[in-house]
Amino acid sequence: MAYVITEACIDAADKACREECPVDCIYEGDRMLYIHPDECVDCGKCVTACPNGAISSEYKLAAEDERFRDIAVEFFDAFPDANGGAEDLGPVGADHPTVAAWETGGRT
Amino acid sequence: MTLIDEPVAPARELTVLGACPQDCPDTCAMVVTVRDGVAVEVAGSKAQPYTNGGLCVKVDNYLDRVYHPDRILHPMRRVGPKGSGEFERISWDEAVDEVARRFTAIAADHGAEAIMPVSYLGTQGILNGLNVGDPFFNRLGATVAERTYCDAGSCTAYAMTIGDTAGVDPEAMVNSKFILIWAANIMSTNLHLWPYIAEAKKRGAKVVVVDPVRTKTARAASQHIPIRPGTDGALAMAMMHVIINEGLTDDDYVAAHTIGYDELVERVQQYTPEWASQETGIPVETILTLAREYATAQPSVIRIGVAVERHAGGGQTVRALSCLPALVGAWRNPGGGILQLPLWAFPVNWPAFMHPELLPPGTQVVNQYLLGQALTGQLDLRTPLKALMVYNSNPLVVAPDQARMVEGLSRDDLFTVVSEQFMTDTARYADILLPATTQLEQEDIMFSWGHLYVTYNNPSIAPLGEAVPNTELFRRLARAMGFDDDPIFTRTDEQMIAEAFDWSSPAMEGITVDSLKEQGFSRLNLPPSDEYAPHRDGNFRTPSGKTEFVSSAAAGGNFVVPLFRQGSNDHQPGQPVDPLPHYIPPRDNAAADPELAARYPLNLISPKSHAFINSSFANIEIHQRVQKPATLLINPADAEARGITTGSVVRAFNDRGSVELLAKVDASTMAGVTVCHVGHWRSDALGLSTLSQLNPTTFADLGNAPTFSDTLIDVEPVAAQEG
Repeated sequence: MAYVITEACIDAADKACREECPVDCIYEGDRMLYIHPDECVDCGKCVTACPNGAISSEYKLAAEDERFRDIAVEFFDAFPDANGGAEDLGPVGADHPTVAAWETGGRT
Repeated sequence: MTLIDEPVAPARELTVLGACPQDCPDTCAMVVTVRDGVAVEVAGSKAQPYTNGGLCVKVDNYLDRVYHPDRILHPMRRVGPKGSGEFERISWDEAVDEVARRFTAIAADHGAEAIMPVSYLGTQGILNGLNVGDPFFNRLGATVAERTYCDAGSCTAYAMTIGDTAGVDPEAMVNSKFILIWAANIMSTNLHLWPYIAEAKKRGAKVVVVDPVRTKTARAASQHIPIRPGTDGALAMAMMHVIINEGLTDDDYVAAHTIGYDELVERVQQYTPEWASQETGIPVETILTLAREYATAQPSVIRIGVAVERHAGGGQTVRALSCLPALVGAWRNPGGGILQLPLWAFPVNWPAFMHPELLPPGTQVVNQYLLGQALTGQLDLRTPLKALMVYNSNPLVVAPDQARMVEGLSRDDLFTVVSEQFMTDTARYADILLPATTQLEQEDIMFSWGHLYVTYNNPSIAPLGEAVPNTELFRRLARAMGFDDDPIFTRTDEQMIAEAFDWSSPAMEGITVDSLKEQGFSRLNLPPSDEYAPHRDGNFRTPSGKTEFVSSAAAGGNFVVPLFRQGSNDHQPGQPVDPLPHYIPPRDNAAADPELAARYPLNLISPKSHAFINSSFANIEIHQRVQKPATLLINPADAEARGITTGSVVRAFNDRGSVELLAKVDASTMAGVTVCHVGHWRSDALGLSTLSQLNPTTFADLGNAPTFSDTLIDVEPVAAQEG
């Protein structure tokens, strides 16, 4: 696995990253986007595209964002249909429970 | 580093346009941000349409490489035993004097052929890459290094069939209706092509991947066809059988733009789908559908990867694949044909970089795959080797026959010079170690073997320590050897850049050094991709100008393109070549050698890594974390039969050697096929060896290509170490 979207995406969900992803592996939840850990090819193009600075290599995550690595894995475990290309699938329309219950969006 | 509030002098920040130097088809245009002389960011250039602002997992972290604490920054002389990695710092003058003194003495005592360069594409710029040492060693009269690591067999086969043509413009592949990706994991090794394939797929194209492994690329395709390693030629010949016998040929195109069709018709009759199914493991119905869809969905395109040549019949496989597009008229439209190396579109002035006229006629040639044998007296050489000079390469990892190579490099009577950025496995065996610059510290100009843009690399930072570009290294050595009586050896980088291309060629119209420096890149002056169909009306770069099903070049026998051998045409392999495409089965298989296959029942293939480029980056921490330690993928059925579980240590072995690896039980590889990605260093490996222990030194049928994928092994669990 690969690049990880973190707290700064919650309720921002800008989607600029999706335009840049060469392999269409960034899936839309309800409150944020998720990078498919098995489909990501580690190119890092989404990192600079994100206006919220929400994306990081899984190996360069800030300590407070570490949990988003597992959140991504668990999200795709919970929604196994989310694979093979985000555009064709469209929004999943739901989030990982931790994200769904997040109190405030974004980080100040 | 964080910003501080106190007023300080404004940072002197500038952006520099560069080019990725790595041995990859994508040659990305880079933008380097430099603050107060220190590079602080390396990013992709948004302006370059093809690479489109992206880099990849290898080069995103390029600064980790440039500023790595392990960089070699000063010349050094060995003080410990060979291989110990113990060195003392010396000056450049001392280093160059010692190299010149030793080379001169060895040439006097044994003949200059006792010296051999060893190099490849650690950097692939026209100045600092493949041919940077050729004039020096040609003038010296050293043994010619034949470097057939990559596509050498494919190039021979491709040239025999359609000539040295660019083929398909990758940007035109959005127009393709059927995309056949053969032996290429695009998402790891040609990433910037994928968006064009994805766009074609969105427009309705079918994307089919032929690969023994269900790679990420295979998973993203419309269809994955797993194939037994080394049997690709059987599938390609059977496709021709079906296309011809079912009348799916483009008869007008065949009549106007090919030669040898009648002979081909006769030849393919033996290659029935039923036979090919037995050989490849692919169901008959799948072969029939593939052939029919490939032929009828026009324009169709075949993207071949370098891996397609890495078995006994690799050359003939590419012969067959290069015949297919003409058979179905794929060349008629943009996005139709075969994509091998669009490198051929670039009018590179190769002679100015090789200077083959300096080479004494008849100089001995040694293929670098045979280096282990050459160093240990097991090759019949006119002049045995007494000195090596290694640059742009880490042969202990990337060449086969590792055990013998270690034995050879350990010879006390061998004088070894290594120019490197890091203390690689090979550098440890140097007598004199010289510091090499990274791409940010040097100027260069780049062709591409994956797209049609020239890219310029402006230097962005001063060389670290006393590192020098390869061009400067060879200027210094040439001066010390007294070669500076010839202006070839005193050319500045600027003068070399002025010689890099035939600027008067139509492809270079409107492109100048100044415009490249300023823009960073320029598309060759060719028709726009939506109109680029170079062989719509034939015009193949063969003697007949046609696709040659019966190859006239085959009459000259097997050859290696001189570009891969310092411009030399002496001592070519020369064995007779059947002028019609045909199938050559893998050397290591049950039919050819049942006794061997009984002892070693598993195929081993060694694809390129995701996070390394050959052995480059395998010492950088972030890359190691992404790539993980050297791992053997094994199918669940094969694992269960051997009591192997994921995460356990296994021993992979054959008659050539033995390697300890971590096992990963994984259904993405076919039953009977194991996979170990190439690039991990020996010094990081369990048991100090890597898979090049297991790989054969035997060549493929054409162009002296390697046969890495023609390897049988067995695997067993390693009992947990006591204590």
